[in-house]
Amino acid sequence: MNQNRIIDHPVLGHLENKTPVTFTFDGKTYEGYEGDTVASALLANGIRQLRVHEESGSTRGIYCNIGHCFECRMTIDQTPGVRACLTELTPEMVVESGKVQPTPFSQPEDMPQTYADFTEKHTDNKEGDPNA
Amino acid sequence: MDHTIICRCEEVTLEDINNTAEKYGCSARELKLRTRAGMGYCGGRTCRPAVDAVVQEATGEEPGNNLPLKVQPPVRPTSLATLGGQHQS
Repeated sequence: MNQNRIIDHPVLGHLENKTPVTFTFDGKTYEGYEGDTVASALLANGIRQLRVHEESGSTRGIYCNIGHCFECRMTIDQTPGVRACLTELTPEMVVESGKVQPTPFSQPEDMPQTYADFTEKHTDNKEGDPNA
Repeated sequence: MDHTIICRCEEVTLEDINNTAEKYGCSARELKLRTRAGMGYCGGRTCRPAVDAVVQEATGEEPGNNLPLKVQPPVRPTSLATLGGQHQS
């Protein structure tokens, strides 16, 4: 797992001196180090996809990595919408990726844009019409 | 190039914006409301300059704050739970 990490950093020091912590991501157990952010620990484990777009399902990962863009939001310890890039890893943390949300409504293209559209679309539908 | 994503939160591409501008011939603000560019989770703080530039190109309207595509406070997105006084560590 250490192949994605800097082993010896002039400022951050030797990797060997860090305390390892374990956490789970989508049910699987991974190892990171104390002082890691959730995003950096996952990146070191080779995981670049943190969530999918709620509607389209296209993949998302670290984008700005400074807490600005909210692209790395995940569910951490049952709290949704937490930024992985700013959250420090704690032992036995439960991290879940973002999933596609259900879309209960039809696509906007099918929806009437004006009242005229609406009446045109529903000419046969007399439900609720007091004169029917 | 047209498939470049302008707004990542709402997944609005350059193509979407250009098509909407062409189809409705709308103002910058209407364009934003129709495509939802810059109205996502991050509050438009990431894509605002890009949306402004693209919308200006598409509609010819100068970006400004008088009829705004404006960024609203708070400074960062806040959950209703936090506003309601729930402690968030």
